[in-house]
Amino acid sequence: METQNDNNNAVSNPGLKKAKYYLLHGPRLALCMAITLAIYLFAIWYQFSYAHLYGLDAHDPVFDTYWMTWFYTEITLEILVATCLWGYLWITRDRNINDITPNEEIRRYFSFALYLAMYAWTLYWGVSYFTEQDGAWHQVVTRDTSFTPSHIMIFYLSFPMYIITGVATLLYAHTRLPLYQQEGISLSHVILVTGPFMILPNVGLNEWGHAFWFMEEFFAAPLHWGFVILGWCGLALCGVHLQIVRRVVAILNDMEEKNEKKVSNE
Amino acid sequence: MKRKFPMNNNQQTTETSVSTEKLQRMLELILIPTLFFTIIGSFHIHFMLTAGDWDFWLDWKDREWWITISPVMAITFCSALQFFFWKNFRLPIGATFAIMALLLGEWVVRISGFHLWSNYPINLVTPATFLAGALVLDAILLLTRSMLLTAIFGGSLFALTFFPSNWAWLAAYHVPIEFHGQVMTAADLIGFEYIRTGTPEYIRIIERGTLRTFGQHSVAVSSFFSAFLCILVYAMWWFVGKAFATVAYIKERI
Repeated sequence: METQNDNNNAVSNPGLKKAKYYLLHGPRLALCMAITLAIYLFAIWYQFSYAHLYGLDAHDPVFDTYWMTWFYTEITLEILVATCLWGYLWITRDRNINDITPNEEIRRYFSFALYLAMYAWTLYWGVSYFTEQDGAWHQVVTRDTSFTPSHIMIFYLSFPMYIITGVATLLYAHTRLPLYQQEGISLSHVILVTGPFMILPNVGLNEWGHAFWFMEEFFAAPLHWGFVILGWCGLALCGVHLQIVRRVVAILNDMEEKNEKKVSNE
Repeated sequence: MKRKFPMNNNQQTTETSVSTEKLQRMLELILIPTLFFTIIGSFHIHFMLTAGDWDFWLDWKDREWWITISPVMAITFCSALQFFFWKNFRLPIGATFAIMALLLGEWVVRISGFHLWSNYPINLVTPATFLAGALVLDAILLLTRSMLLTAIFGGSLFALTFFPSNWAWLAAYHVPIEFHGQVMTAADLIGFEYIRTGTPEYIRIIERGTLRTFGQHSVAVSSFFSAFLCILVYAMWWFVGKAFATVAYIKERI
């Protein structure tokens, strides 16, 4: 799907160019966002239906049936998705990354921006929706396990989803975009991905604290401030955006200059 | 990004420059919502885990802690995004952009999570608004074009407008009620009626210390202290925004 031949066809085909060739992956992004939304809406429906019924007592055998089955299923699927997506991006990498046309480079920046859009979408669900929704459960229900109906959706579904997408953006940038081959690793991009990624390991501290001495839920407690600092790393998207904008404007300037020379020669 | 490419000698836009313009607009249409959703996530997790408890619950919205903590924690991302939008694109929208993101993230969960899932009345879990302060902050940056003046005047007004701008919807819940021989507010009573096992009463941090009876102007004292802190935090977070918007590359393997 991402081979050099396809890309050259996209650039040379006037029909595709007219139809905004640079948005080649737009429909794919829309589909991925719709699938993600459907998964999360289903997860929320499942919580609404079975959390109060079967999710209050972790020692009840029915808890295993309804909640631990979901947990093992989602972990398995996440490993599969990560392997397929990261493997696809690596196997289809461009081996002549510095030998592409300006139009093709612009198209790739658009695809990169679309990958980032998908990352933002999954990040929203993980660190906004399901995180505060965790408060709606744990400020109400006292915990007796680290695998509660809200934790199974936030820590083990929505966090891995944005980690998978975030790593995919890194892989895309480093296997398709000449800038990152020439200049090196983007500091802001690494921060953007690794900061929110570290929220998942920080769950270790959170669960240890909540199991050890603090069974109640006070959201502003210092126990949670690791999440806060790692959440700030989302601001690094500003740096990534500047990199994209500057590079695309530079390419367009070059193209414009060439076009002007061509017009004046004629 | 805002730049328009020059026309040729015949004063006619070339085919390339027309498509260039469209292409730039299309890129903006992808990047801006991407930033918006990322900020919903980042700002929301920051705010809910530093000031969230006062924002979640009606009976936590007191005259001391809520007023002091909320603006200080909310001005952070406003400042960082003002740096990004103003310094790079000359757009005075950073604070409003940040607050809109935060409020959207909060409202979705208050309705879906707290109201529909946990079955609390929506007026018990209504989030506070910061929109008035954000608009003032952006307007002052636009008028002064100065980080320092925006920190001093904008930061102060961000905190000072917080309580008045929320008072319209909050006032009714601060009406005193005598219940079983105890005097409390309507907000307290609603909180007592809807049990939160995971957040018992001894965790609720409101109305503590001598300030609660100090000359009957605890709101004003809390607001001005918050204004002082907002000035400092705004200035600090301007540079946090600058640090995160850095375009830098690492050559070595990491």
